[in-house]
Amino acid sequence: MRGNLGRALSASIGKKAWMAISGLLLVGFLCAHLAGNLLLFIDQDGSAFNAYAEALSSNPLLPAAELVLATLFIAHIALGLKVSSQNRDARKVRYRVSANHGGRTPGSATMLVTGVLILVFLVIHLLDFRLDDSTHGDMAAAVRKRLGSGSGAWTYGIGIAALGLHLSHAFASAFQTLGLNHPKYDNAIQLAGKGIGVVLGLGFLAFPVILYFSSGAA
Amino acid sequence: MKLTLNIWRQAGPESEGQFETHALDGVSEDMSFLEMLDLLNQKLVMSGREAVAFDHDCREGICGMCSLVINGEAHGPVKGTTTCQLHMRSFSDGDQIVIEPFRAAAFPIIRDLVVDRSSFDSIIMAGGFISARTGSAPDGNAILVPKTDSDKAMDAAACIGCGGCVAACPNAAAMLFTAAKVTHLASLPQGQPERQSRVLSMVKEMDEQGFGNCTNERECEAACPKEISVATIAQMNRDYLKAAIFTD
Repeated sequence: MRGNLGRALSASIGKKAWMAISGLLLVGFLCAHLAGNLLLFIDQDGSAFNAYAEALSSNPLLPAAELVLATLFIAHIALGLKVSSQNRDARKVRYRVSANHGGRTPGSATMLVTGVLILVFLVIHLLDFRLDDSTHGDMAAAVRKRLGSGSGAWTYGIGIAALGLHLSHAFASAFQTLGLNHPKYDNAIQLAGKGIGVVLGLGFLAFPVILYFSSGAA
Repeated sequence: MKLTLNIWRQAGPESEGQFETHALDGVSEDMSFLEMLDLLNQKLVMSGREAVAFDHDCREGICGMCSLVINGEAHGPVKGTTTCQLHMRSFSDGDQIVIEPFRAAAFPIIRDLVVDRSSFDSIIMAGGFISARTGSAPDGNAILVPKTDSDKAMDAAACIGCGGCVAACPNAAAMLFTAAKVTHLASLPQGQPERQSRVLSMVKEMDEQGFGNCTNERECEAACPKEISVATIAQMNRDYLKAAIFTD
């Protein structure tokens, strides 16, 4: 079997393992992202959030971190699309009636759809706040303006809802894929997965909701 | 009771298939699902038509030959039950029942409701065995196996290889079947020498047969007539990754 490492890790379970690892690392990124974002609510003038944004953008390690992050996103998305296309090929003729046997959840059944929605949202989000240089002076004001508008609030609301639903299946699924599961703590992992979906989903959702209703646009 | 059956008919592997509707009267609730199909076939043959082809053998829920997706559920609506052990009392008079073959690219249709599951044989041939010569039956106490291990092996060995997991999986993956075989042998001392090469070869063969990838939706576990746990899949994933990374 020597020399087969690459082949073994590109097989079905190998691909899933890369997806699981990249996905879990991205969950870590989301936690840090949410923690940073919450600085927006600390003061009225947004100086804490702006200081945080400034510290991030002036950090010399930022390009390296962004490269890692981009690699994780691209790997996760590319593998997800590859796996989905293989799965479609594995059943060319669909069932006329297809019932839930009892395992599927709204999150698990929609992973591809929510994944694509998150990708679209990610592109919009990067265009809004990362690639638009005009926001860099006062990031807090830019966020308040974008998420305070009706279209912004809806765009972010839908993107974040898709993220929450995706995570409700993703987290526990990643543990199972990596073989880190056992009947002894399966329930705990399932619960933690749903919990992460709810906490990160509601945490991020707070921004468009609060900013929209406090903007006076409502 | 009287039923309306929508049954998939297909003359051969390359033919176009379609659903055919049959009204069937005189079904007893004590009949098994397959006996109900026997009754239909008797009527079809008596009227000079071709019988519906379906797989069956022991009709005791232990051979793994019967199949069918009944109203969208592999092996029908009763948990932990093969189609042959499903009885018509689980249905009501006037019901409409849609009967389809197991659908997966790796299970091509031979005729009507009969599919070719020899892709499972290929997975077994890739490593689902122990090749060491074991001689005659050893003394019962010669190799000590902890009770928890033998229970785990026995639970996994309950897999009858019917393919219900593939049929129920939204991705037509064969992970539960392969994992049951891998876990069965990995839980026993006799399975240890080939444990790593076995999992690598069986997963490779599973991929080559064109089964889908696992998305951990657990539809397989819910549909499995032998109630094999997805814990076996976690075990196989663990063994596979360990073997892929650390095997010489």
